[in-house]
Formats: sequence, structure tokens, C-alpha cells
Amino acid sequence: MAGICCGVVGEGDTPAPLEPTPRPSRRRSLDILPLKYIADMPMPPPEALRKRPKLNLRDCDNAIENCDESTGHKVTKKESKVDYDDDVVSETKNVTVSEVEEESPKFGVTSVCGRRRDMEDSVSVRPCFTQGFHYFGVFDGHGCSHVATMCKERLHEIVNEEIESARENLEWKLTMENGFARMDDEVHRRSQSNQTFTCRCELQTPHCDAVGSTAVVAVVTPDKIVVSNCGDSRAVLCRNGVAIPLSSDHKPDRPDELLRVQSKGGRVIYWDGPRVLGVLAMSRAIGDNYLKPYVISEPEVMVTERTEEDECLILASDGLWDVVSNETACGVVRMCLKAQKPPGSPGSDVAADGSDRACSDASILLTKLALARHSSDNVSVVVVDLRRDQRQSSNYNDVN
Amino acid sequence: MSPNNPSTIVSDAVARHHTHVVSPHQCCSAVVQEIAAPVSTVWSVVRRFDNPQAYKHFVKSCHVILGDGDVGTLREVRVISGLPAAVSTERLDVLDDERHVIGFSMVGGDHRLSNYRSVTILHPRSATDTVVVESYVVDVPAGNTTEDTRVFVDTILRCNLQSLAKFAENLTNKLHQR
Repeated sequence: MAGICCGVVGEGDTPAPLEPTPRPSRRRSLDILPLKYIADMPMPPPEALRKRPKLNLRDCDNAIENCDESTGHKVTKKESKVDYDDDVVSETKNVTVSEVEEESPKFGVTSVCGRRRDMEDSVSVRPCFTQGFHYFGVFDGHGCSHVATMCKERLHEIVNEEIESARENLEWKLTMENGFARMDDEVHRRSQSNQTFTCRCELQTPHCDAVGSTAVVAVVTPDKIVVSNCGDSRAVLCRNGVAIPLSSDHKPDRPDELLRVQSKGGRVIYWDGPRVLGVLAMSRAIGDNYLKPYVISEPEVMVTERTEEDECLILASDGLWDVVSNETACGVVRMCLKAQKPPGSPGSDVAADGSDRACSDASILLTKLALARHSSDNVSVVVVDLRRDQRQSSNYNDVN
Repeated sequence: MSPNNPSTIVSDAVARHHTHVVSPHQCCSAVVQEIAAPVSTVWSVVRRFDNPQAYKHFVKSCHVILGDGDVGTLREVRVISGLPAAVSTERLDVLDDERHVIGFSMVGGDHRLSNYRSVTILHPRSATDTVVVESYVVDVPAGNTTEDTRVFVDTILRCNLQSLAKFAENLTNKLHQR
């Protein structure tokens, strides 16, 4: 059903057909659960509401809502707070025609609990966090939420400090490795101290060695995309319709990770899937001190030059990627971006916080697709519009 | 299978608890932890069958579903996320306050540890030091080796006992500060 709904998007064009689900027989029996949640973005001003064009995505929403009614289920799903930079509003207002700095890229975010009991994902979006660079991060916690929360709150600040201290000699791999190492050390020191966390750990001992988080971070500059990954969340670039992975999942049975763990004296045991010592289903993470030195916090850093063909960047937790392929995700986002009115035209939907209607629709649709395919985890998705024509349109963009 | 630790003197009555009947397709092992805290302090934590999350890292919550803390009590333990299980139902088999012995078995849950039985014994080594020995026996799951199973369970138990050491030592320090 979700696949059929996607076909409605971009009706005016000739959209590329979505990749069919790898389990076609299962599609017939799919019972789409009620999906009542809203992307975490502030309510747009009334005039923007009035001017909002009717997107084809509405038909998809209505179809899903009809399914909701037929099931008779009413489910309230917990959502995590997405942490927007408070300064983004004033920065947007300060954009002028003469501004040389590139405008912040448009983005959309969703982060939902899904079928898990607890929400342990976090998302951090920091437009213009330093030197005209933009920061996007997805953190999928395990054991508890406080490591992912610390990453959301602190990692961009640490990376900013590393960038500032590098000055003219910015070397991205070293900078990001230092940032992740400092974040991991901060998590470790926090768990060793007597500080308590505002989560269930507060009820117990402050020794939280068995808590950790993935971290996939993208720093978008005017000419580069820098992706740093630790764990099994993922970043994918959509370039001219082609899905290009910018990260590689740190699964314990990835051949080089398996060798690294074994060389440290550890073991990968298949216990409900490959796990380090049979316990943890990823070979790298922030935190998880009890599994060091087998589970490390060193990120793999990939620096990609931006091109005119770049369309979008998708960062998401494995709650999405376990059930949606890179190609399918790119196809969904491309259709949402195509359905968007030309950038800069009157009525273009740009919310004050910099998030964008088309990108938000894309992130919502991807999340719905993941839940429809019975993802059993929290799902967090960030979609960033990388198209270049935003630059020339900024001269005409009526932002206030 | 007493531990080869000459500093640990185990009486026959206590050693009997570490003697497990091991069937084919099962494995057994033991984990030892030294704790710089009096045996009475450590025991006050270990004997709480209703509150394993006080020191077991991987326990998120626990509620007693039958009994009042004596032998026969059943508890349902909810495990933190990211591990290959979510729930374990466990029965208290041994509780000896005089000899500091506690034992339990796993009787249900969504884990792969069938017929798991463990016994934990506290040995006072001095007025301020305790040696904890936890031994267990469990079925080797289909598809895994004896070594796999031992590595997995030993990792969990070692982590639990290290956490117990920190917790009991902190408790001792707090008591001294008063």
C-alpha cells in the first residue's frame, strides 16, 4: 500500500517506478498500522498555511488515513524532541540580497518511537553551526537514551571546537576522529562520576557502562559533504537519481571489523545475529565502555565533493535502513522534491526554522514506509535538499 | 568444580552448591570477583531477588510475579535494549543468609539460555574484603558451540559482578562517611 501511495506523488511528471518490495507475497497481507504523528517542526504562520499548495502527497496521506479508520486502532506514538538551533530564526531573518554566505540548506526531520517500548534515538540539526558549515546528526541509542542525548547536545559543540582549533589546516578525517574520541571520553567520564542522568538510570547506580549510541554525522560545506560514521546508522547521497552510500555499517561480521575485533582478543558470536562477544550487534559505538577495546568509537570519515547533480542527502537510523533500501529511499525523496514548487516562487514553503515542506514530507513518508514494512525499532530520518539552484533563488527568496 | 584459588577456603556444605549436574549439550563455568567491602554489605545487595537492577547492568526493571522473596519466588526481568533478549522469567532456588548463598534458574523468557541455573556464593576473605563466586550451567543453543555460550554468559556475569563491586564499594564508602 505504501508503495502504491508513493506512486501518486509527482503525478504531473513521469516518476521512476519505486523498487518493488523484495517480499512481494507479503505486500498483499500488509496491514498498515495507524501512523498518527507529526514531524517535529513549529506551526507555520497562518498566511503560509493559506498559501500552501495542495501537494499530491495529500492523496497518499488520505489513503493511509482511510486504512487507519478501517483498522479501528488509535495509537499514540512517542516522539523525541528534535533539537533545532534557537538562533536559526534570527539568522534567517538576517538574510539579505547582498549576503555572500550560502543560505542554509532546506531539510526535514522525523524521529519516532515506532514499535519499541522506549525512544532512544536523537537527532541534531545545526544550520550554520560554524563558518557557514551545516551539521546534521542521527544518534541511535541502546541500553538507555542518555548517551544518544549527550551526543545530540554536545557533539556539534566539540566538532566546532576542533574545527576552530584546526584553523587554516583543516584536515577533516583527523578533526572528526578527534571530535568523536572526545565525545566518547566525555560519555565515559560522565558515567564514572556521581552525576545522575534524567532517565531511568537515575533510579540505579551511576555506572552505566552498558549504554551506548551510534553516531552518523554530516557536515555540509559550500563545496564538500563530510560524513563521519560510528555504528550502524547510515548516510546516503542521491546524485542524479543514483544512491551513493556515504557510510558503511559497522556490523560485527563485516570482514575488516571481524578481523579488527579478533586482533584485539575479542570474538564475534552469532547470537540472534552477529554480536561482539554475543552481546552487541554493532562493532563501533559511542559509549559501551564494558566492551572496549573490541567496540571502538573511531568514526570512518568520508569526504565527498559536491556537484551540480547532487539532489539530496539522507541520514537515518537502522530502523529505516533495515527495511528500506538506499535506492528506494532516494526514489521516495526525489519524488517529494519534484512535487515541490520551483524554489523561490511565490508560496514556496520554507518554515522559519529552515526546515522545508518537501523535505519534511519526504522524511515523513520514509518513516511511514519503514513502519508499514514492520520496522521493529525507533526510526529517525533527516533529509537535506542539496540542489544548487537554491543559491540563485536566494536573491528572490522573500524570507521574513 | 571449586575455583583454583588457594586463598578461598570452601567448606563442603558450601562447595556442594557449586556442584552442578552437567548433561551432554550443556556447558558450565564460573566467574570470580574480589570486592573491597564487608561480606554483610555485599550480601545485602545480592540477596535482594526483587531488585537485581541495583547492580546488574543489563537489567532495566524487575517485578515479582509470585512469592515474597523466599525460595520459590518468581520474578520477571526486563532487559535493556540492544541485547539479544527482552524478558527473562526467573525462579529463586536457594537463599541461605547464614552461608551467603543465593541461586536462581531461568524458567522462561525470549532468550536462548535454556535450563540456565546459577549459584552465587560470598566468601569473607577479611573483615573488609569479599570474594564472590558465581557458577552456572546452561544448555548450548542449537547453532552455537560450548565456547560461544561460555564467552557470552561469562561476559554478562563478569560485567554484573564488576558492577556489584563498584556498587558495594560505594555503599561502604558512604557508610564510612556518615
